[in-house]
Amino acid sequence: MEPDAILEELGVTAAWELHGDGRWVEAPNLDVRAMARLLRSVEARWVTLTVSPAPGGGFRLLYHWDLAGRLLNIATVVPEARAESIADIWPGADWAEREARDYYALEFAGRDGSPALMLRPEDEPGLFSRTQELGRDADPADAARVDAGGEP
Amino acid sequence: MSPVIPVGPYHPALEEPYKIELVCDGEAVREAHITVGFNFRAIEWLAERKNYTQDLALVERVCGICSNVHTLTFSRALEQLAGVEVPARAQHIRVIVHEAERLHSHLLWAGIAAEVIGFQTLFMTCFALREKVMDLLEAVSGNRVNYAMNKPGGVTRDIVDPAMVSATAQAIRAAMERDIIPVFTTDRTVRARCAGVGVLTRDEALAWGALGPVARASGLPQDIRKAAPYEIYDQLDFEVPVRPEGDVLARIVVRALEIVESCRIIEQAVDGMPSGPIDAGDFIPVPAGEACARIEGPRGEVFYYVASDGSDVPLRVRIRTPTFQNMPTVALMVREQTLADVPLIQASIDPCYSCTDR
Repeated sequence: MEPDAILEELGVTAAWELHGDGRWVEAPNLDVRAMARLLRSVEARWVTLTVSPAPGGGFRLLYHWDLAGRLLNIATVVPEARAESIADIWPGADWAEREARDYYALEFAGRDGSPALMLRPEDEPGLFSRTQELGRDADPADAARVDAGGEP
Repeated sequence: MSPVIPVGPYHPALEEPYKIELVCDGEAVREAHITVGFNFRAIEWLAERKNYTQDLALVERVCGICSNVHTLTFSRALEQLAGVEVPARAQHIRVIVHEAERLHSHLLWAGIAAEVIGFQTLFMTCFALREKVMDLLEAVSGNRVNYAMNKPGGVTRDIVDPAMVSATAQAIRAAMERDIIPVFTTDRTVRARCAGVGVLTRDEALAWGALGPVARASGLPQDIRKAAPYEIYDQLDFEVPVRPEGDVLARIVVRALEIVESCRIIEQAVDGMPSGPIDAGDFIPVPAGEACARIEGPRGEVFYYVASDGSDVPLRVRIRTPTFQNMPTVALMVREQTLADVPLIQASIDPCYSCTDR
């Protein structure tokens, strides 16, 4: 399946922006589970998920896929710290979603029982978000335990 | 009730901490649960608080084995952002050091695999060969671990003795073909210990996003050097070894054959290295925007995402290392295997916990 057909199948009206490093598209109302199922069916390869705070609030989820050597970067935005999980469709996304929760307290639907990945069980999720609130010089080791009442 | 056997996070056989809990039924492993994060250093967080020059030194410390691929991938992301073309000589040097790093990483792993299998003499042979590569890297860069060879726009040092580089690659290729590959591919002890052990099927490898030699040993012919060539790889003649079996033996054979291919690549890069500048000049800070870069590291694809607001400090740096994808597949590989095979199976993915945790 060609990249243009993928956008058409997903109902994304925006076109790919072609850069030297791959194709990029912003898809605000993206059905990420439909995207995951489609890319699974065409034997694309999972690359990773990049989460970052969105400029207007919420979070930007940038999904990276490899389609026969072509890098596809598909971005969407969630207004709250809650997103759909694709780990049941793409098991390879499991750790990336758990890591996103560690860093940004981003909760993925149906994954309430998933353990932390990089943080320890006693650490509160949202390490990067919390240190952002505390200022750029905040120590992540202190911030990891700021809500847990433990020693930094 | 099935006994749960915890291994790690600290263990005499592992240089780096991680934990695997094995749910067993007698000697058979029924399931496994992996815990990582013991080496977590928040490197992505740090990278968003340091300037690009500091970040170059920071990302080189993501990994102690494949340190070079991190500076290369980070530099390529910045070059993509700035639209900078790296001079041809620098591209050749990058490829030579990149492949030398793959050589020493694969030879290190081959030695460890030989030791885990119980083949001490082969361990010594592999490490003696690896020492030649370390000497080469030291001669080229002045360093044995963090080479500091890459910079945005090129490399920091020229190669002043290309003949030595080529001779080393030829010597390693000959030793691999004469001494090591025949053992790994035909020796009955190796075959008995590794064939059919720790299988990861092609479908599992794809679904779990396995990378590098782990994926290629499960029948997936993925290699960024071929699929999306960078630097001068589209000008080079080399093969990507792929095996369909998905077992420990296949992972051993793939890496052993890749050593030969890396030697061939180095020889070609030396032969074709043109004269000229080795960097494109400074272009930091980079323009606002976002970019990705992918490199085929020794353990598989290394991925970087960098977002810039035009200042000298990146807005966001995302680092996805190959072991981050490969490690969860160990839980699949060890199912229904004997407890005694677990160390060999986990070693067969050539894990790097430091990379994984970042």
